[in-house]
Amino acid sequence: MLSVRGLRKVYDGHGRRVEAVGDLTFEVADGAFVCVVGPSGCGKTTLLRCIAGLLPPTSGSVQVCGTPVTGPPDGLAVVFQEYGRSLFPWLRVQENVELPLRAARMPRARRRPLVAEALAAVGLSDAASAYPWQLSGGMQQRVAIARAIAYQPRVLLMDEPFAAVDAQTRADLEDLIRSVWQRLGVTLLFVTHDIDEAVYLGQRVIMLSAAPTRVAEELAVDLPDARDQLTTRGDPRFTELRGQVYAQIQKAKGAAG
Amino acid sequence: MTAALRRATLVVALPAALLTAWWFASAGSTDFYRPPLSRILAAFGETWFGPRLVDDVLPSLARLGLGYAMALVIGVTLGVATGLSPRLRATLEPVLEFLRAVPPPVLVPILILVAGIGNTMKVLVIVSGCVWPVLLNTVEGVRNVDGVLADTCRSYRIRGQARLRHLVLRSASPQIVTGARQALSIGIILMVISEMFAASSGLGFTIVQFQRGFAIPEMWSGVLLLGLLGVALSVVFRVVEHRVLGWYHGIRAVQRQ
Amino acid sequence: MTAGKTGRTGKPAGRVRLGLAGLLGFAALLELAPRAGVVPERYAPPTSRIVAALVEQAGEQRFWTALADTARTWATGLAIAVVAGVALGVLIGATPLLRAATASTIEFLRPIPSVALIPLVVVLYGATRSSTLVLVVYAAFWQVLVQVLHGVADIDPVARETALSYRLGRWARVRWLVWPTALPYAMTGVRLAASVALILTITGELVIGSPGLGREIAVAQTSGAVPQMYALVLVTGLVGVAANLVTRGAERRVLAWHPSVRAEVPV
Repeated sequence: MLSVRGLRKVYDGHGRRVEAVGDLTFEVADGAFVCVVGPSGCGKTTLLRCIAGLLPPTSGSVQVCGTPVTGPPDGLAVVFQEYGRSLFPWLRVQENVELPLRAARMPRARRRPLVAEALAAVGLSDAASAYPWQLSGGMQQRVAIARAIAYQPRVLLMDEPFAAVDAQTRADLEDLIRSVWQRLGVTLLFVTHDIDEAVYLGQRVIMLSAAPTRVAEELAVDLPDARDQLTTRGDPRFTELRGQVYAQIQKAKGAAG
Repeated sequence: MTAALRRATLVVALPAALLTAWWFASAGSTDFYRPPLSRILAAFGETWFGPRLVDDVLPSLARLGLGYAMALVIGVTLGVATGLSPRLRATLEPVLEFLRAVPPPVLVPILILVAGIGNTMKVLVIVSGCVWPVLLNTVEGVRNVDGVLADTCRSYRIRGQARLRHLVLRSASPQIVTGARQALSIGIILMVISEMFAASSGLGFTIVQFQRGFAIPEMWSGVLLLGLLGVALSVVFRVVEHRVLGWYHGIRAVQRQ
Repeated sequence: MTAGKTGRTGKPAGRVRLGLAGLLGFAALLELAPRAGVVPERYAPPTSRIVAALVEQAGEQRFWTALADTARTWATGLAIAVVAGVALGVLIGATPLLRAATASTIEFLRPIPSVALIPLVVVLYGATRSSTLVLVVYAAFWQVLVQVLHGVADIDPVARETALSYRLGRWARVRWLVWPTALPYAMTGVRLAASVALILTITGELVIGSPGLGREIAVAQTSGAVPQMYALVLVTGLVGVAANLVTRGAERRVLAWHPSVRAEVPV
């Protein structure tokens, strides 16, 4: 479904050359939930933007559903970290969720049920006519997720989406995104700096090295599919897995500089 | 004192005090140039609620409305085009900086040369003065579209006309409205000047005629009328602005907390 | 992380070159259009003739006197407006009761166009500099006042409570809290006021006949000296550009310490 091969990105400017991404190669199977973790500044966001077609790589290739990515591909939705800036402040929640469908010229009769479903899926049916800035941070991020759901993408990219919300809201959103993933069967690539979150959410965890970024290690998360904040995080296997990821990240941080 | 009563008092207190002071200070005035307020108010009723309303006041306002509307259309169109194209902007910037620095009233003699002293000249004067704040503020507004919002549009493949409507124009609307407000003040100034300087009818012309003919209370009443017009137009503008920019005031109120 | 503002232009040298090209293109257009008969030469003399008239003017004492008059009126009016605006703005802004009581009056007086005062000042002061000065001060004052009021209102409540809890007295608070917060707004007000002041200065000279560039333009127009008139218009444009540069430079210098230069408060 998603294939990254030899991805390399060099930033050139102000007299400095920064090789943000060195050589990234990995695959994400159809319908899989894969988390990407790495030390700070390791080019996770660069990777995501290259996959989303928002940034052209210096070399290497990205393919989504077999088609090479040269610009924002069809059937792909992105949820950004800065929910406040990604929602249109002049549109109400419902209109925000509806906008990509409107722009794609979907007739209203088809749009409306999709929007209503998406809002129900994230639990915001009551907030449909509010403005985003009237809502809390967690709710705003849910609106962004609803917008992605309504778009019916085949691939969903999330760039540290819960980094800017408080811990309790984060827990709720994590469970929400897992349930959304299970219902819709999308391919989900989730970038995060939170190791616990990566292990809790993903079926696989890809660990990145420090810049120039490469895939340091991949890990299959063999926890049961039905995950729950209390029991899963208390599971000894969870602790083992997170320890492995943690150790790898520390190694990556140590190898930098 | 209830809250509403207190608020009403605060709104009315100072203006009432000032007006009363003016009334009594000028009551016994024998100064030819500073007639009693009572006479001014009497002259106001006599002068402006007759045929002059239709012959002079309304045409002046109509010219202002026409010139202002044209300036808005031209300014926003050119502003969007310039704002979206960095090359165009760089090419035009020095020329625009110069043209906007020319004080608009100075164009009155030029336009009199070109267009005589009829309606065309007056409307042209208003357009030529009002277009600059609108143009320049539109360029600024278009330039400062939020990066995350722009990325969101790109990744949801919202392009072309939809992008222009939903992203660029609405994002720039607060700045455009700022320009429109400045343009309104300039428009009023130019409306009056174009008529004071060389004309045969209109509000400004009438007032200058009173001044030259030493009809002092009528002149004062004209000054009063201009003041009231300025205030009335400002109120209308505020009402329209609140409807168009309701979302913007809301978001700023939230941010300020 | 993100693209930041859209529409970056690229290398500065390229921008300068494009800008120069624009200027030259504009001048060329104004030169060729009249010559080609597209625009009647009577109304729009070619650039070369305007420049020649300008050079001729520059040789005359009268021109420099007028320029000095305009500059003086502008600067005086602006200075008075700024001092009054800042002083009243801080005074009114600092006291909630005063703010509330004066709000309606300010909102009423502010939109009154200065030009409404023209017949009044002509009748009261004649065609002197004072008439124009009244116009200039009246218009510029409101720009400064409104911005300063917004600045004082923008004081972070957390910062204020911190100041209070450290028992900073009234003057200390004005110095360390009120003034730095209001300063960027005040500078914006100065910038807006400078532009408005120039407009009203020229307007006064044009319409009332006070000494200055505006009056020279009116004279040139009535005597049919068209190239001279355009030359003077050119000069007022340059004066305007100079005024903008000066105020923007001052703003940058005064606010060098400020992390962000605030956008104009839409007033």
